[in-house]
Amino acid sequence: MIDRRGRSAWMLLFVVPVLFLVALLIGRFGLRIGDAFRALFGVGEVDDVVRALVLRVRLPRALAAVCIGANLAVVGAAFQGLFRNPLVDSRILGVSSGAAFGAALALLLSAGTFGLQASAFLFALVAVGFVLLIGLRFGTAPLILVVGGILVSAFFNALLGLVKYVADPLSSLPAITYWLLGGLSDARWATVLPLLGITVAGLAFFLAIRWRLNVLTLGENEAASLGVRVSGLRTAVLCVGTLMIASSVAVGGIIGWIGLVVPHLARAWVGPDHGRLLPTALGLGAVTLLILDGVARTALPSEIPLGVLTGLFGAPAFLLLLLRFLRSRGETR
Amino acid sequence: MKYTAALAVVIVAGLSGAAFAEPSVEILDQAGAILEVDQPVERIASVYGLGTYYLYALGVSDRLVGAGYVGVKSVAQASETMRRLEPRLEELFLFGDPNVEEILRRDPQLVLADGSRHAAFSAQMNDLGIPTIQYLVESSDALLEAMRMTGLALGPDALDRAEAFVREFERIRTTIAEAVARLDEADCVRVLFLGTAPLQAATGEMFQTELIEAAGGRSVSAGLIGYWSEVNLEQILLWNPDVIVIPPYGPVQPADLLEDPDWASIGAVQVGRVHRMPRLMAPMDTPVPESLLGILWLSSVFYPDLVSLDLRAEADRFYERFYGLTLTEQELDRLTAR
Repeated sequence: MIDRRGRSAWMLLFVVPVLFLVALLIGRFGLRIGDAFRALFGVGEVDDVVRALVLRVRLPRALAAVCIGANLAVVGAAFQGLFRNPLVDSRILGVSSGAAFGAALALLLSAGTFGLQASAFLFALVAVGFVLLIGLRFGTAPLILVVGGILVSAFFNALLGLVKYVADPLSSLPAITYWLLGGLSDARWATVLPLLGITVAGLAFFLAIRWRLNVLTLGENEAASLGVRVSGLRTAVLCVGTLMIASSVAVGGIIGWIGLVVPHLARAWVGPDHGRLLPTALGLGAVTLLILDGVARTALPSEIPLGVLTGLFGAPAFLLLLLRFLRSRGETR
Repeated sequence: MKYTAALAVVIVAGLSGAAFAEPSVEILDQAGAILEVDQPVERIASVYGLGTYYLYALGVSDRLVGAGYVGVKSVAQASETMRRLEPRLEELFLFGDPNVEEILRRDPQLVLADGSRHAAFSAQMNDLGIPTIQYLVESSDALLEAMRMTGLALGPDALDRAEAFVREFERIRTTIAEAVARLDEADCVRVLFLGTAPLQAATGEMFQTELIEAAGGRSVSAGLIGYWSEVNLEQILLWNPDVIVIPPYGPVQPADLLEDPDWASIGAVQVGRVHRMPRLMAPMDTPVPESLLGILWLSSVFYPDLVSLDLRAEADRFYERFYGLTLTEQELDRLTAR
């Protein structure tokens, strides 16, 4: 039973490229499928507009959706295991509060798209850096890190509030508000390529150590008795995960729920073993964000904020999972 | 809103004949509140950054005791032209959400406030016995109504200037409307008005869209609702506008789009018709008196030879007459740049 589920979960990784291709074909600008493929593979005659649309607009955006969806879900799953807490998501260490402040500051100073994403990335790392410093001083036990994350988030939220307060209501304030809702309309090659690099390296790291993550969920003493150096592995997971989330938030803004709900969906599907859980979360995260971003950019002439869609999808999905969990517990009782 | 506007006009019309013999005038503001304003008003505070400019146009800026200015976040940031307009800028300058005690300290007899953001503040000021006018100006008709209402509250000279401004606005608007009426629909330029980011568009509910229509253009994003709307490059490719206009604030410059390969297949970029609106003081795409120059500038960008009005001469005249400022040649150059 589990094996069949495991296999079907691996199949998911083949669904991602298929959906990816579909994402390149759909959009508000009507395209003939043949034209889209000719533009994509550089064969035959294609109109310049079509080529620009497929290669410069849809391709980087679809790549960003895959990367961000996979990152949020995989890191969320890993952090839930590491903190031994099912309500943790990938932003537990204050990543998004730091990034939000960095982005808002860049918008306030009119720094342009690249400056914005660089500033968001930088402050995301600064925020988590503070949490890790707290961990260095008081120990990296999950509770210390969670409290550190709450404190640092609160601090950066206050700074964000200050930036919003002084922002020009005519220009920068709406831009900050929109950025905080998340979206991929700014996904361009210049910023998607660094994201792609970090994502590939980060996912490779997580897939390589996924079996060892199981040990972390056992708790300090049990893991040590199995001969695993807990604190080294934990620090590596935290640092790599933070890089992946910071680069994702820098490009896509605050996209909630994916890092919380998708790992649970994956767990409900293949069970808690990280060997199976991480690849499943990866595929599910990528698929979910590809679909939701497809809606965000296609449904209306204006962009629908992606954070709004992930919330509309995430909250009911979480409720269903919770009901399922309660029911299963009722049955076993 | 429609109803309020109509009622305000009725009261303005009813009172304008006899009001100034009385010790006070009664006005209905754009938020629907009836205010009793004792005459004469010698001390005015404006926390409505657009409305501050109404006071300059009405020639009563010497009565200001505190003022916010749209788009100006600090005195250091104010343009040289603005410092010439208001030598007392340092003393008057207010920024951010109004502080009731700070306003009280300045002891105004009348306060101008933004009806969409300052409702609670206005209620508090009115309770304290200081009449506070709330403005809701999202169209040029509402601008004209706001100018008349402000003039009425400030005495016969101010009201005369308000009427003069309304006539001036109507003259320019009508002249342009008559000229562009001769265009075939197919010859009307299709315009995208961007926000402070390249992927932000002005919606159909915004003042900018009305200015585009008044200048004979067709806004491609008129179907959008709300305030500045995020769009994506694909939607802009689909609209394929003939002209792209960048507002006079925010970081976007024409070169950003003209040199960006991602934008290269858009019609306006291919023919180089990407223009940033010029700015001397208040942005001309907002409901301030100089928005009449905004319409004229837009029409000169859309149809360089169609409208008989000369932007340079009109701008010179407007600033002289309503703001009491003689513009330098450089300022006129800047204002007429496309």
